[in-house]
Amino acid sequence: MATEMPDNHVPAIEVKNLTVSFGPRPALLDVSTTIEQGLLVGVIGPNGAGKSTLIKAILGFVKPDFGSVRILGSPADRARGSVAYVPQRGAVDWDYPITVGEVAMMGRYGHVPWWRDPGPQDRARVDQALEMVRMSEFRERQIGQLSGGQQQRVFMARALAQGADVLLLDEPFSGVDAATERAILDVLNRAKAAGRTLVVVHHDLATAAEYFDRLLLIKQRLYAYGPPQAVLNSELLSEVYEGTLKIFSALPAGGKPA
Amino acid sequence: MIELLAQAFIGPIQETYFQKALIGGSVAAIVCSVVGCLVILRRMAFLGDALSHAMIAGVAGGYLFMKLLFQVEAHAPAMLLGSLIAAIVTVASIGFVSRVSRVKDDTAIGIMYTGVFAGGVVLVSIFRNYIHIDLMHFIMGDVLGVADHDLWVAAIAACIVLSVIVLFFRSFQLTSFDPVMAASIGMPVVLIDYALTTCVSLVVVSAVSMVGVILVVGLLITPAATAYLLSDRLERMMLMSAVFGVTSVVGGLYLCVWLDSAGGGAIMLFCTFQFLVVLVVAPNYGLLARWFRLRRMVPQEVMEDVLGALARGGGKPLDAAAMASFAETRPDRLSRAVRAMAREGLLQEERGGYILTANGEREANRILRAHRLWETYLQHVGAPAEELHPRARDLEHVHDKASVDYLDDLLGHPTTDPHGRLIPENHVECRPGNVCSLSLLRAGKIAAVESVAREAGAINLRPGDQIAMGPRSNGGSVWTVIRKDGSVIAMDHHTADAIKARVMDNDRGTPRRP
Repeated sequence: MATEMPDNHVPAIEVKNLTVSFGPRPALLDVSTTIEQGLLVGVIGPNGAGKSTLIKAILGFVKPDFGSVRILGSPADRARGSVAYVPQRGAVDWDYPITVGEVAMMGRYGHVPWWRDPGPQDRARVDQALEMVRMSEFRERQIGQLSGGQQQRVFMARALAQGADVLLLDEPFSGVDAATERAILDVLNRAKAAGRTLVVVHHDLATAAEYFDRLLLIKQRLYAYGPPQAVLNSELLSEVYEGTLKIFSALPAGGKPA
Repeated sequence: MIELLAQAFIGPIQETYFQKALIGGSVAAIVCSVVGCLVILRRMAFLGDALSHAMIAGVAGGYLFMKLLFQVEAHAPAMLLGSLIAAIVTVASIGFVSRVSRVKDDTAIGIMYTGVFAGGVVLVSIFRNYIHIDLMHFIMGDVLGVADHDLWVAAIAACIVLSVIVLFFRSFQLTSFDPVMAASIGMPVVLIDYALTTCVSLVVVSAVSMVGVILVVGLLITPAATAYLLSDRLERMMLMSAVFGVTSVVGGLYLCVWLDSAGGGAIMLFCTFQFLVVLVVAPNYGLLARWFRLRRMVPQEVMEDVLGALARGGGKPLDAAAMASFAETRPDRLSRAVRAMAREGLLQEERGGYILTANGEREANRILRAHRLWETYLQHVGAPAEELHPRARDLEHVHDKASVDYLDDLLGHPTTDPHGRLIPENHVECRPGNVCSLSLLRAGKIAAVESVAREAGAINLRPGDQIAMGPRSNGGSVWTVIRKDGSVIAMDHHTADAIKARVMDNDRGTPRRP
C-alpha cells in the first residue's frame, strides 16, 4: 500500500516513446514526457487528439504498440494501486441506490479481501478523503441528490480513498457552472497540497493557464509540456488547432496571462 | 405425386374455415407488421406484450358491463372498447409511474401490465358464472375458428391504423427518430405517442382472437425485425414487413393443417423460422454475408508483405510460392491478397508470376520507407538490435503521411536504416515540380531555390539560384549543396529545413539503387 510518501525525486509519471495505434492512424505517436510529483497538470488538445488515450495508457488500459509508462518508478501494469481514475460525470447512473459514503468506501474495495469487512483504518481513510473534498456532511446522501460539482467531488473522494498518489481526471469541469468549477478546483488544489499528482483532461483554453501548474499539449504527438505561459503561445496553438486561430487572439502570444 | 401436392395445397383452400382464417390472419398480420416497424424502432417490444396482456381486463370489463346492464351476451363492440380502454389505461399508468418515480421504464411496464392483467384474471374468475368466455381461447387464440365479427373487427382496425400511419407517416418517422427535434418544430410529440400506442392497442385487439395474447407480440415484432434486416428505409421496411406478416400467416396455416396443430403456434413458428432464414441469408446484415465479408477482407499486413516481397525482389516476377516465404500467412489468404491487389492495380501478371505496377511500386516504397524509418527510430530510442526488425514490423502499419514525415524529421531525414539499406525518399514531396525544403532532397537532385527563411539568412543562396544536392556528410547530419559555379555550401538540418526549393525534372544522372 502506498501510504507513506514516496521518494520525492522519482517522477510521478514517466512516459517514454509511447506509440498507440488503432488501425493505420496512430492515436499517440512517440510521446515522451516526465511529470514531477505534486503538480496539477492539464492535458489540452483538440478533439480526437489522443487525450483520453493518453490517460488510458497511463492507467494501463490500452496496450501500447511501443514505449513505456512508469508510475512512481514502477511499470504501469504493476502500479495499479498508485493510480486512480475519476470518470466523466456522464458515465454514472445517478439513480443508483448508493450514498456518498458508500461510493467513497468503494475506493477501499481493492484493499479489502472479500471475506472481511472494511476495518477502522479503511473508514478513517474514507473520512479523510471526504473531508478533503469537503463532502463529509453529505455522506448519508444518495448520489443523485447532489449538485454537479458535488457529484464530481464524491468521485474524487473515492479516488483519494484508494490511497493513490496519482489521480487522473477526465474532464471534471465539463458541464458545471463557474462557481462549481471554483469548488472543484479548490479540491484539486487541496489534493495537490497533500502531495498528490493530478493529471486533468481539460477543454477550456481560456482557463487553462490559470488553473494548472503545467500544461501538456498533444495532438497525436506531444507538442509541448511546460508552464502555461510557455505552452499557450498562439503559434503553437494555431499549429495544433489548425488555423482556428481567431479564438486564441485573446490569448497572450507567449506572455504572462492577466 | 403432383396430385398429392395439389391436394395438400389446394384442398384446405376450398374449406370456408381456412379461407376465413387466411383472410382474417393476413389482414391482422399486415397491420401488426406495419405498426411493429415503429414499435421495434422505438424499442417498445415489451410494451406490445404488456398491452396484449392488459386487454384481458378490458374484455372482461366490457363483457360484464353489457351482460349485467343490458343482459347482452358477449357483446363484441363493448369488449373491443373495453380492451382499448384497458390498453390506454395501462399505457397512461406506465407513463405516470416512470415519470413521477425513479423507477425506470421497463420496470414500470412490468409492474403495471401484470397488475392490470391480474385484475382481468380475478374479474373473470369471480364472475365465472356470468362470463362465458374461454380464458384459454383468449390466451392461445383460435385462428381456425375465426368468426365473422372477428373479421370485421380486423378489417376496421386495419383501415383505421393504416390510414393513420399513411397520413401521419412523417410525424411517426420523426418522433421515433428524434423526439426532441420533433418537439422543437412544434410537433405534438405526446399526442403522437398516444396515437401510436392506440394503434398498437387496436392492432393487438384485432390479432388476439387469432394468435392469442401470448403470441401476438411475436406477430407485432418478428416480421418487422425480419424486414429490418433487409431494408435501410422505413417505407420499404414497412412494405416488406407486411409481406412477411402475410407469408407467416399463409405458411403457418398450411403448417397447422398438415400437422394438425394449434393455429397461432404454427403461424408464429413459421414466422420465427422465416426470421432465422433471413438472419442467415440477408445480403447486408446476414450472417452469411458477414462471413463472406470477413473472408474476402484481405488483411492489410498480408498486402504489405506482398508489396515488400516484390519490392525487395528488385523487379523480378515472383509467384505465389516465392511470396509465401516472405509473408507469414496461410497460402489461401496470400493468393486472395494477390488477386485483390491485382484488381486494385497494384500488381500485374507477367511470366508466371507477379510484378509491381507503377502504383504498386509507389505503395511498396511508401511502406518500405515506413518500415525502415521505424527501424531507425527504434535504434534511435535505444531498442536492442535484434528487436529492430520484428518491432518495426509491428509498427510499420502506422504509415500515414503525417506520422512517417514526423519520424523522418525527428531522425534528421536519414538515407539508410540501421542495417545500411536505403530508405526510399519522400515521393510525395520530392516529386519534380513540387516545392519542398532542402532537407528532404537526396544527393543528385537538382532544384531551384524558391525562398530562404530568416534562420538561413547566413547562407549564400537567393531565390532563383539553381543547385544540385551533394552527398550528406558527417554521418548524415550535414547537407551539402553544389551551386552552378561549382562552389559547395554545407549546412545543418535546421538550415536545410529553412530553405525551400522547387524540384527539377532532372535526376537522370542519379544512380538508381534497387
